[in-house]
Amino acid sequence: MINVNDLGIKFKMEKRRRSGALAFLLERSHNRQRSPREFWALRHVSFTVERGDTVGIIGRNGSGKSTVLRVIAGVYPPDEGKVSVNGEVSTLFSLGAGFQPELSGRDNIYLNGIMVGLKKDRIEEIFDVIIEFAELGDFIDMPVRTYSSGMRARLGFAIAMHSDKDIVLIDEIMGAGDAAFKQKADVEMSRIIGERTVIIVSHNMSTIEKFANKVIWLDRGVMAAMGEPKEVIEQYLAASKVKKRPPDEY
Amino acid sequence: MIEQLKNIWQRRELLYYIVRFQMKAEKKNKVLGFVWSFLDPLLLALTYIVLVHYIFGRGGPQFPALLFIALLSWKWFASSLSRSVTSITSKVGLIQSVRFPLAILPLSGIIIGFFDWLFGFVILVPILFIFEASFTVNILWLPVLLLIEFVGIVGICLIMAVVGTYLADLGNIIQFLIRICFYLSPILYSVEDRVPERFTTLYMLGNPFAGLLESYKNVLVLGTPPTEYALVGTAVCVVLFLIGLWYFSRDEHKLVKSI
Repeated sequence: MINVNDLGIKFKMEKRRRSGALAFLLERSHNRQRSPREFWALRHVSFTVERGDTVGIIGRNGSGKSTVLRVIAGVYPPDEGKVSVNGEVSTLFSLGAGFQPELSGRDNIYLNGIMVGLKKDRIEEIFDVIIEFAELGDFIDMPVRTYSSGMRARLGFAIAMHSDKDIVLIDEIMGAGDAAFKQKADVEMSRIIGERTVIIVSHNMSTIEKFANKVIWLDRGVMAAMGEPKEVIEQYLAASKVKKRPPDEY
Repeated sequence: MIEQLKNIWQRRELLYYIVRFQMKAEKKNKVLGFVWSFLDPLLLALTYIVLVHYIFGRGGPQFPALLFIALLSWKWFASSLSRSVTSITSKVGLIQSVRFPLAILPLSGIIIGFFDWLFGFVILVPILFIFEASFTVNILWLPVLLLIEFVGIVGICLIMAVVGTYLADLGNIIQFLIRICFYLSPILYSVEDRVPERFTTLYMLGNPFAGLLESYKNVLVLGTPPTEYALVGTAVCVVLFLIGLWYFSRDEHKLVKSI
């Protein structure tokens, strides 16, 4: 269903945007043609996801996990390799992103529905289910910027779950909720596991272990391991243990 | 490039919702809400009318009507331009969560600007009557002029949306340029009045939008056809449109990584 072959995503580390147009002109006039440094956020990443798979992506901060999701969502075109996605992808929800803070929760549900290509009627159908799941109450007509992170997480999760797309991408939104939300999210996840294709990025190993049938461990943009959840998680945890410092000599 | 237009057309529903929600968000925070859509142009025009008409005693009897239509069309251009500079960078969350034609973002700002034009037009109509504008068949040119202006604004805004993503301080530069261009354009004055005759051609060719602005005044207030210089403006607008479309399509995929 998803086929990623030797994927590479490259970013240019440009200072230009920060320093602005004036600095750009000055640099030009001084003829200092410094070519910007390149940085591979992902390189030589290959994996396949079958229909109904639940894939967990783990790795340290900045290892490229979210970038993988964005590639699958079609946001980043690959600089190297090939990516083919067969099926429709839900919006990618990560904490804080994907919402327009000035708009109400209601309008954000509409906007996200339209963005992934749902029809207006369909959005109205799933509207109540989403609101009920998200437990927003009166907040539904308040701007999203007034929401707590738990409320955002619930709303984002609910939209991702109900957008009836084949592929659901979840970027660490399960982590922000309280115990009650986690339970509900678990139930919801179990409902769609096996039925839809899910890719989860999380630092919560028990979530990954519970749902995933395949785990990818990314380390600084390359694949460190892939396979059985238990094994890969063990390897990852072993590798990220803080090494004890040798006793000082004096 | 044609691909780009097709993609936008396919996602027109998304464009509609972005425009609608953005307008809602902009107005909702204010007590007077969308009354400001009428008050804004009115107060701005009043300021200049007092300044030019009463303090400096210039502009002639129809000045308020002439000023108002020129000001409206100018505001459409200026507000679209300043919106377009941050149109991409202000929507990072949206852009990074789902794929859609990014040109929709600057485009939505232009459409919002056009709604402001329409609100202003509601105010303009009574002003036209009060200051005895001559209504002739030439008024039919109005939609044509609007279309030409739209095409030109789209071109410039597509370019600025890209450049504004790369250069953080483009916004400051643009504000400054908009201000200068305001005084260089026949808004507070008419070309016939204030530009010496031997410089008229130079002026009109140097500022392609001058012809358009003069034409707005002609068809709505003076009852005459558009000036021939509007042809220059039309040509420039079409060229800008093509350049903008080409440039945006070329850099669209790079933008995602630059924000």
